[in-house]
Amino acid sequence: MKNSNDSTVIDVPLTTGSSKSKAAASVASRQANAGGMKRGLGVFDFVLRLGALGAALAAAATMGTSDETLPFFTQFFQFEASYEDLPTFQFFLIAMGIIAGYMALSVPFSIVCIVRPAAVGIRLVLFILDTVALTFATSAAAAAAAMVYLAHSGNSNTNWLAICDQFEDFCQNISGAVVGSFVAVLLIMFLVLLSAFAIRNTH
Amino acid sequence: MHIERPKQTPSQSFQKKMKATMSESSELKSSKTKPGVNRGLSILDFILRLAAIVGTLGSAIAMGTTNQTLPFVTQFIQFRAEYNDIPMFTFFVVANAIVSGYLVLSLPFSIFHILRNRAHGTRVLLVFLDGGMMALLTSGASAAAAIVYLAHKGNAKTNWLAVCQQFNSFCERISGSLIGSFAAIILFLVMIFLSGVALSHRRR
Repeated sequence: MKNSNDSTVIDVPLTTGSSKSKAAASVASRQANAGGMKRGLGVFDFVLRLGALGAALAAAATMGTSDETLPFFTQFFQFEASYEDLPTFQFFLIAMGIIAGYMALSVPFSIVCIVRPAAVGIRLVLFILDTVALTFATSAAAAAAAMVYLAHSGNSNTNWLAICDQFEDFCQNISGAVVGSFVAVLLIMFLVLLSAFAIRNTH
Repeated sequence: MHIERPKQTPSQSFQKKMKATMSESSELKSSKTKPGVNRGLSILDFILRLAAIVGTLGSAIAMGTTNQTLPFVTQFIQFRAEYNDIPMFTFFVVANAIVSGYLVLSLPFSIFHILRNRAHGTRVLLVFLDGGMMALLTSGASAAAAIVYLAHKGNAKTNWLAVCQQFNSFCERISGSLIGSFAAIILFLVMIFLSGVALSHRRR
């Protein structure tokens, strides 16, 4: 009884209530500011996700349709090249497909993050999955880039001939696919940075 | 104002708010779990950084000191294989060296995060740099892995012969040096997870 009497004597109940409401209002306005910035980051995150989806899909499509058949043929076989000839390109195609699928599936979660700026759990899950996607995409892009470099330049020490001299269209297609996948990797890297910035607890 | 309302509620919540602001100002007081979780994550991050240094440095050295000379010699050429015969392996060595140098330079930041739990700005910077370095490491390791696969299997359609048939110990060495690099990639992944969890950790 004395305690409650003291707490209401130190400050008149009205001022206690008003200071508490002022503190609550300042906390609420700070949270609203943080919520607005997080909402902006969420929109940016959504746009980057769509961009990465487009880039990964374009890279996969370009690689998949890169077959080329040379116009001359000998008595026994016809000279043709496609992505299936090199297992690295098969891995590239599958990996880009998986990345594009993941980006498409994570778009609804990104929309949820826009609508609810205070959702931390979803942001953390998306951050972790985005990092895994970054690793996967970088790995596929780099392995395909190594193969494309070899196809362009060959290697005299190991007696590996440059096949680009014969299959020009095929070479252009696979080079374009690798460039598209590196664009996707850049976008996913920005996504990870953005998520790390948005995830932080500003208190 | 003498209204018969439970005087406990507004004063109790006011005292709770006072206690909360006091505990925020003194980080060493209050519940042991909340600042302890962040500190544990930072210590784990430091340990993983040390392990990743060992992994990347080991890979760079193992690949960089690889050469093999076959015992027979023709009149014109000597059969010798070195890591810098193939540009992807040179890139692998350089990437591993750069990443191990970055890890050594980022150790002070990691120690700073152990000491200060709420350093959000430097944590975000470290996440960004870790992500970039992980991408560099992954690209180096994947390119080298693609060439190692080609060296083991060759390719019939493009008439690329499997080099490993002749250079056995060279092949074994370059295959083994990939392991440290890929282990370091996984450690980087875990480090980025830990940083993300530490960033999002909400102290009540």
